[in-house]
Amino acid sequence: MNRLTILAVRLALLGAFLAAWEMLPRHGVLDARMLPPLGDVLRMLVDVLGRPRVQEAIGVSAGEFAVAFLIAIPLGAAIGILIAENDYLGEIFKPMLFYVFSVPKSIFLPMFILVFGIGFQQKVAYAAFSTVFIVIMSATAAVESVKADHLLVARSYGATRAQIIGRVYLPSMMPVLLEALRLSMIFNFTGVLIAEMYASRTGIGQLIANWGENFQMPQLFAGVVFLATVAIVFNESIRWLEAQCSAWRT
Amino acid sequence: MRRPRPVTVRRLLIVAVLVLWEAVPQTGLIPELLLPSLSSTLRALIADWDKYGEALLVTLYEVSLAMLVACGAGILVGALVGGLKPLRDLLLPVFSSLYAVPIVILYPIFTAWLGIGSEAKIAFAGVYGFFPVMLSTAAGIRTIDPQLLLAARAMGATVPQQIGRVVIPASIPTVLTGLRLGGALTIIGVVVSEMLTSTAGIGYLVTRYRTILDSAHVFAAVFMILVLSILFDTFARYIERRTMVWQTAGRRERTDTADRRLTTAPAPV
Repeated sequence: MNRLTILAVRLALLGAFLAAWEMLPRHGVLDARMLPPLGDVLRMLVDVLGRPRVQEAIGVSAGEFAVAFLIAIPLGAAIGILIAENDYLGEIFKPMLFYVFSVPKSIFLPMFILVFGIGFQQKVAYAAFSTVFIVIMSATAAVESVKADHLLVARSYGATRAQIIGRVYLPSMMPVLLEALRLSMIFNFTGVLIAEMYASRTGIGQLIANWGENFQMPQLFAGVVFLATVAIVFNESIRWLEAQCSAWRT
Repeated sequence: MRRPRPVTVRRLLIVAVLVLWEAVPQTGLIPELLLPSLSSTLRALIADWDKYGEALLVTLYEVSLAMLVACGAGILVGALVGGLKPLRDLLLPVFSSLYAVPIVILYPIFTAWLGIGSEAKIAFAGVYGFFPVMLSTAAGIRTIDPQLLLAARAMGATVPQQIGRVVIPASIPTVLTGLRLGGALTIIGVVVSEMLTSTAGIGYLVTRYRTILDSAHVFAAVFMILVLSILFDTFARYIERRTMVWQTAGRRERTDTADRRLTTAPAPV
């Protein structure tokens, strides 16, 4: 199949899915109280986004996301580079990190609540904690993706340290770094939402959990559609950047 | 001075963490409310073992059903998507985009649909574990050495023979990696959903003891989940190593350098 056909079939599938979501509950095939028709959900989304309380909640969540990101990325990158560049430290900590990586982070939420309460700091601390391990792993992978041959050539031609970093390290690491950025954003986003759904007074995650508990299905679906759209748009834009940079790799 | 071996340092670090976990709360540097000592955590675990055991059974029941859902659906869809080129071109990029959506936001929908019993947890954790299983099955089937299939076809293997003798054995190592990741995610999914809205299970115990500020019992429950997930990871890695021989079998240069364990593993028949 060529690219146009693929795109057309994909759009057709998406159209069929959306049409089914609109038609089936509307005509009583599915219970409209359980699955509100798409039209109702979108109308509710516009309505909900206009409410000051929701706007404030989105602002709080975005703030938590941004601060956690600013903490997790430099911290994780520093640890990751240290482990990758120093063989001795790497041998000590890499197996431990692999184990920690496979452990569910959300079970530590109660400890963050005990230490930080249920406010802004707790969300930031938990989201940064759940993100930092993927950043460490990706940073290690990024450093290891630099080819030793390239370093050797650069050194034998007398490149300075700054030149080696700017001309060898960064271009080789760029695609892996963007991949890391994408993954850590997914982790961070999920971390903030879980923390808010678990115990919070504000934030979009708390709103969603609350709508679910009160059986307000149109609001709940509007929130889910909004968050899913934001996540997909973020993800796709970084993937697009990744595709732009992968030319450097070869 | 020679530096100690990394393994020794690692073991010392783990011992140090355990000792500090016991010593620091004992001396009162950190109040027991924030960090109950190792001994009081274990004491809480033993004293209320009947409660923890009951909760563990509920969680294990949900995890095993969710794993069945995730693995069954994941392997089926993954095999279709990986094996059929039109489907692969059409759907694989879509699945990778959907992977970005934080699945936890679906949990309120599941509880509204299925109630707050085990069904909602199984459905949620099943969806959580589905993606890694499906993606790695698709990858496992797609990355089979085409030479193997060519040889089988040249010697007149029928399609069922090709699938049974080439496709499945060759893709098993990749699929198992997916099962390990997917299994870990189903455990996370069940525990998270129990923590959010639930009436039973270890995650529920974590939340209940947190609301009454009983730190020792919270830590005991968290400790159990940690042990559970590490046991699962170790077990899955062990199985993976045992089956690695299927992938390297017949490739001399790789079996020579490969892990010594491979030579003791049963040969593929």
